[in-house]
Amino acid sequence: MSKPLRYVNAIAQALSDAMAADPSVMLFGEDVAAAGGPFKATRGLLDTHGPERVRDTPISEASIVGAAVGAALTGMRPVVEIMFMDFVALAMDAVVNQAAKARFMFGGQCSVPMVLRTPHGGGLNAGPQHSQCLEAWFAHIPGLRVVCPATVADAYSLLRASIEAPDPVVFVENKALYALQGDLDVDAPRGIGKARIDRPGRHATIVTYGATLYAARAAADRLAQDGVEAEIVDLRWIQPWDEEAVFASVAKTHRVVIAHEAVQAFGVGAEIAARIASDLFDELDAPVLRVGAPFMPIPFAKSLEAAYLPDADRIVAAVKDTLA
Amino acid sequence: MVRDLVMPKLGLTMTEGVLAEWRVSPGQPFKTGDVLVVVETDKIASEVEADSDGVLIETTIPVGETVAVGTPIARWSADGSGAAPAPVNGTASPAVEAPAPPAKAAPKTGPLPAPLRDGERVLSTPLARRRAQDLGVDLTTLTGSGPRGRIKMADVEAAAQRPVSTPAPVSEPALSPVAALAGERSKPTTMQATIARRLTAAKRDVPHFYLAAEAEVSELMALREKLNADAEPGSPRVSMTHLVLAAVGRALAATPDVDRVWDDSTPGGEILSLGRGDIGMAVDTPRGLVAPVLRGGARLPLDRLARDAAALTERARNGRLSAEDFEGGAITVSNAGMHNVTFMTSIINPGQSSILGVGSVRSVFRPDESGAPVLKRELGLVLSADHRLFDGVAALAFLNRIIAGLERPLRLLRTA
Amino acid sequence: MPSSAPRNDPFPPDRLLALHRTMQLIRATETTLSKLFADSEIPGFIHLSVGQEAVAAGVIGALAPQDTFATTHRGHGHVLARGVALDLFFKEIMGRAGGICGGRGGSMHVADLTLGVLGANGIVGAGLPLATGSALAHQTRRSGGVAVAFFGDGAMAEGALHECLNMAALWRLPMVFVCENNGWSEFSPTSRQFAATLDKLGAAFGIPHRQVDGNDLAAVAQAATEVVEAARSDGPRILECITTRWHGHFEGDPQRYRNADEIAGLPENDPLRRSAEALLAAGIEEQDLAALVASVDSDIAVALEAARADALPDFDAAFRDVYTPTTLTAGA
Repeated sequence: MSKPLRYVNAIAQALSDAMAADPSVMLFGEDVAAAGGPFKATRGLLDTHGPERVRDTPISEASIVGAAVGAALTGMRPVVEIMFMDFVALAMDAVVNQAAKARFMFGGQCSVPMVLRTPHGGGLNAGPQHSQCLEAWFAHIPGLRVVCPATVADAYSLLRASIEAPDPVVFVENKALYALQGDLDVDAPRGIGKARIDRPGRHATIVTYGATLYAARAAADRLAQDGVEAEIVDLRWIQPWDEEAVFASVAKTHRVVIAHEAVQAFGVGAEIAARIASDLFDELDAPVLRVGAPFMPIPFAKSLEAAYLPDADRIVAAVKDTLA
Repeated sequence: MVRDLVMPKLGLTMTEGVLAEWRVSPGQPFKTGDVLVVVETDKIASEVEADSDGVLIETTIPVGETVAVGTPIARWSADGSGAAPAPVNGTASPAVEAPAPPAKAAPKTGPLPAPLRDGERVLSTPLARRRAQDLGVDLTTLTGSGPRGRIKMADVEAAAQRPVSTPAPVSEPALSPVAALAGERSKPTTMQATIARRLTAAKRDVPHFYLAAEAEVSELMALREKLNADAEPGSPRVSMTHLVLAAVGRALAATPDVDRVWDDSTPGGEILSLGRGDIGMAVDTPRGLVAPVLRGGARLPLDRLARDAAALTERARNGRLSAEDFEGGAITVSNAGMHNVTFMTSIINPGQSSILGVGSVRSVFRPDESGAPVLKRELGLVLSADHRLFDGVAALAFLNRIIAGLERPLRLLRTA
Repeated sequence: MPSSAPRNDPFPPDRLLALHRTMQLIRATETTLSKLFADSEIPGFIHLSVGQEAVAAGVIGALAPQDTFATTHRGHGHVLARGVALDLFFKEIMGRAGGICGGRGGSMHVADLTLGVLGANGIVGAGLPLATGSALAHQTRRSGGVAVAFFGDGAMAEGALHECLNMAALWRLPMVFVCENNGWSEFSPTSRQFAATLDKLGAAFGIPHRQVDGNDLAAVAQAATEVVEAARSDGPRILECITTRWHGHFEGDPQRYRNADEIAGLPENDPLRRSAEALLAAGIEEQDLAALVASVDSDIAVALEAARADALPDFDAAFRDVYTPTTLTAGA
């Protein structure tokens, strides 16, 4: 079954379908109920699923996430929203010390089936505290899963998978993708940790996730005009990331560029680059290159933000560097 | 899953091979142990066996072609699936699932270091280094096309396509005098090219010196006739080559220092004592001259020596030698006696330290003590020796022991 | 000590005797742990609740089976009072394979989910949001359960308390905020750390606050019973138990920041002694109390022996518990 939909509506539908399928699924967060969410990702859910399971919270990020952990330990599968990923800094204890560790430090007695939805990404000129891509923070914490869907179909199926997952998932949505239109396949398989070959190619691999997928596609189109066939791996999952798919692609093309919107230094690309260097050293015919944001806070002004965000130009240049 | 069958590396020094014969046709199933293909190198023809069951999908290299080690020569799969290459759909399918990772073909031995050229690291990618090792390409002879002259895989593969990858000697003039000459030109066969490369290296790198002497072989020839006349049915005929091998073997057993070779693969070189009494034996075959090793020749009784040597010759002529047949031996005996030559001065076989060139038996008059002519039957011998291991006295002592064995042949009948 | 509500219905002596045994178990266990720590048989650090046993016994004794609670770094008493298996408790704190948490958590993370224990917690105030979420789950699932958040007076300065009081009040959650007020925020007197008082904080959010002599077992038990049932039917309550911390912030803390006279005077207000006196006054025999002590000591000796004999934890088993096994990863 397939029908065109916006990314933000795919999120709402996944939440609604998950609540219909499982009475233990509940939502809470700032303005998710009556207002339908700051980006309308929860619009209509209060009406369909009622005020007990769809709740507005006060502006209390630390306790929103902490309460999700407590609810998860008491039989619920809460999905909470942090309005902007930047605000998750207020809730780090709950995510890092509580959600991620409860299963392990209680000796496997329990699981913490919760989802923390949060939007990241620039492009809205929202400035340094409303635009950051902080997913690497969470990928660094054992016990957490981190996922970042790039397509409408993935927004739905990966959110369903995240809600079904037994452990805490940080579900990262890119604000710039909310209006994206695409087809929905509600019956698509839902798995954790599987990447997707977005476009096959044989000369170089571009590993990416989230909204940067579209910059990678534009880059691949331009490279194709020069006879360069770039293979795009859409990671989808950052923790765990699909080593098998990435390694297979790099073993084929022998050149790789890892592109993401997050700050390049100490980022997701750094980990992947390091793993390729250690495990696939003898497959490399060029240095592993990364394309990420520069080491500065994301600026507000339209011109500054445009210069800051990684784009197709930088990906094209990096791929050409690997072919030099 | 469709997989490549590649040109195997059948010996330490093998860099390329001739695809001599396909034993399995496209579409045909095979089982573990079946011979898939026959591959010839400069030394041998080898049958390549399947190491698992499968179906050959297609051959990609025609018979007669020479390809580098590691080059795919055919495609196969376990069940014959994948007969047609899957079309790649670049636009319609949004989710081409990721392929399985390559079989753990990735390195088992750890990354290869960058080679040095004049003390400087030769810039090369890890993949280029791995391919260079697989293909036997010397990175120090290449110029890379990458940034800062970095050698990439493509540079290595281009170099491997060239027929001979030996570096040009520094002293060689930039342009060979032959280069400008007119005339019909052809590529050497693999075997020709390899023989050329190995002998050039041996002649250039091994400091040869030569000792020539004659052995009086009247008694030897008489003994040979008697032995062959007296032979029981089924026992091997004893040839002059066998008798020379036996004489060399007795001398080798008495002079174990001869059974040593010089290894210049380490800085400053090393002397390697072999001590197994193996003796190389030059055999003329339709494919060219080969020198398989008569295993433990120094200690074989004559009968057994003749039998083993005959069998080795037979296998060499039929192209049935294996890589093992070429391993070992510090000395080779090369008998050109059937071709009417007095002295033959040979080039030491690469990896060995001496070679005995054997000429024809000639009838000559020699003066006796009173000056009267006496008919003698003489065999011309030239020992080529590696001066790094032999001085003149030691080489002469060895040669005289050989001559003593040939001139008093009953010694050859004693148990070695 | 003052109590904000009059005790018009004294707790019956037979229930008090059971709660007294719980206090004795906590006291003897923690005294044993103190010795084990001094003898280096316990790795890491431990925070003891000696002097505060009446709060654990009285509040936990008021809970129903479906109720849940989150406790603190000073949480041994609550978990023991809830009935965690004593041998598994000792094994955990001594870092053994058979520990209730497999030796992964230790003293600061003792938990038994089967008993509704959401864990002790190494982060001050972090149990408050967990209990709030647990209360939210009770409410949403209509389980009839109450969630209790234990916290110390040091946590009154944490934002989490303020956020959770607000959230619990807004949603009228079935939740009790139990403050064990021993006057000390780690190494500093709380009077220098916190400008407000808990009763005023409760009033600000419209949450009924009740203060009780936390070293009076019967008073705590009575108050807790009333407060828990009120929370079950009518939304959040605060129970502030004024109590005493005998040991340092952690074992090995010499407490130089405390007045020697204050420490010397602590046994005057020993909840166990006061409870024993009350029981004797109510007609319990001296020998019954002596038998109770012997029985507790015997239980501890058995548990300690089992813990000492237990194997060390397996690294691979620990590694396997970082994530929950799921087919979502295998068949992905």
